[in-house]
Amino acid sequence: MPDKPSHDTRRATLPFESSDPAEQKLWSALGELPRGEPSDELRRNFYRELEAASEPRLAERLRNWLGLGSNSGWLTVAACVLLGFGIAHIAGNESAPAMPGSDRLAALEQNIALLNRELVLDRLQASAPATRLSGVYKASMMAEQDQEIVQALLQLATGDQALSVRSAAIDALGSQLGESGVDNELMKLLEASESPIVQLALVDLVLRHGNGQQISQLQKLAEQQRLHPDLVNHVNNSLRSETI
Amino acid sequence: MQAVSDEQLIEWVAKGDSSCLGTLFERHHRSVYQFCLQMTRNRANAEDVAQEVFMKVLRKAHTYRHEGTFKAWMFNIARNATFDYLRKNKSQPDSLPQDDFADSLMVDHRTAEHAASGMQDIGTLQRALATLPAQYQEIIWLARFEFPTFVELGAALGCKTGTARVRMHRAMQQLNLAYTELNGAPFDA
Repeated sequence: MPDKPSHDTRRATLPFESSDPAEQKLWSALGELPRGEPSDELRRNFYRELEAASEPRLAERLRNWLGLGSNSGWLTVAACVLLGFGIAHIAGNESAPAMPGSDRLAALEQNIALLNRELVLDRLQASAPATRLSGVYKASMMAEQDQEIVQALLQLATGDQALSVRSAAIDALGSQLGESGVDNELMKLLEASESPIVQLALVDLVLRHGNGQQISQLQKLAEQQRLHPDLVNHVNNSLRSETI
Repeated sequence: MQAVSDEQLIEWVAKGDSSCLGTLFERHHRSVYQFCLQMTRNRANAEDVAQEVFMKVLRKAHTYRHEGTFKAWMFNIARNATFDYLRKNKSQPDSLPQDDFADSLMVDHRTAEHAASGMQDIGTLQRALATLPAQYQEIIWLARFEFPTFVELGAALGCKTGTARVRMHRAMQQLNLAYTELNGAPFDA
């Protein structure tokens, strides 16, 4: 959640001293000057421009979509074609089917799930941080995560250049906590990470889903002041409220 | 909790995580907009300049050297963007005349009681400030609302601390003269 800006702007921020009483009064009165508020348009325009600046150029996106830069374009096309054929086949084919309708539907669903998985993996490895981030969200929504997706998420959690992607990947791995491979990697990351954002994501993950051993490991890190000072307080307060 | 400092965030922006700029925008866009509004005296233009400031912060993030606070560095960009705007639009009249600008801001912020007693003084003060050269307006605004020390003020203005101090005193003398001339008497709230 974004930080709220400070609204306490009426106080004198710089101690101005003058031998002239009129100047001194003017200085005080300046604090009463009206100050305008920006419209929502400024925020909307800013985020629009930020998104545009963060995304690859249109030509690059088109090239990527067509599959020249990655295989997501072909996967999308293949998924659409398969889905189209499947629907047409189920809905319109009167000739005797080789399989009962329910089997064909199940096969179709399986194919779509496979393609969806490929798309997610492709997104997790994309060059644009925004695409990787959307891949992480899609991965976290998938009902069953296979080993390849978990490994891709772990890779992002431990080494992605974009901190927002790292923390989202850590969140997405929450449901995997309890798997020894994931546990070890995440706890190692918690000990090694210097980024407060990454530390915060990991601390919250352990507090929510961690087992007794992980909680005591977290407590130890807090006692040794190996976490950001604000996070040390956060850990202590959370553990204290749990015990109460 | 503000666990991550502005300086850390801009470092991450420089390393390619442009999403961190969103946090910096949420923390500072109001101050930047208000500074731009004081300097341009036009809401739409102030929003354009404020947005340009944050896009410049994105482009120049790699040049931030941790030699002062992020805020001072950002306001240095803001003042350059504002002066660029003022230079380019020297011949174009503002869409809101100065008096209307001052009065329109008053409506939102002053109560009826204030309007009866102090609005006249504050309105005159606003007009007096607007008559000063841009360099004096900016230093008064930044010193009064944004920077608690002359060191940070100097960093924001791109000058030495002593220079900022001298300029500040001159600016206040000029404001006093301008107010007295407009009001017919010195300020006496």
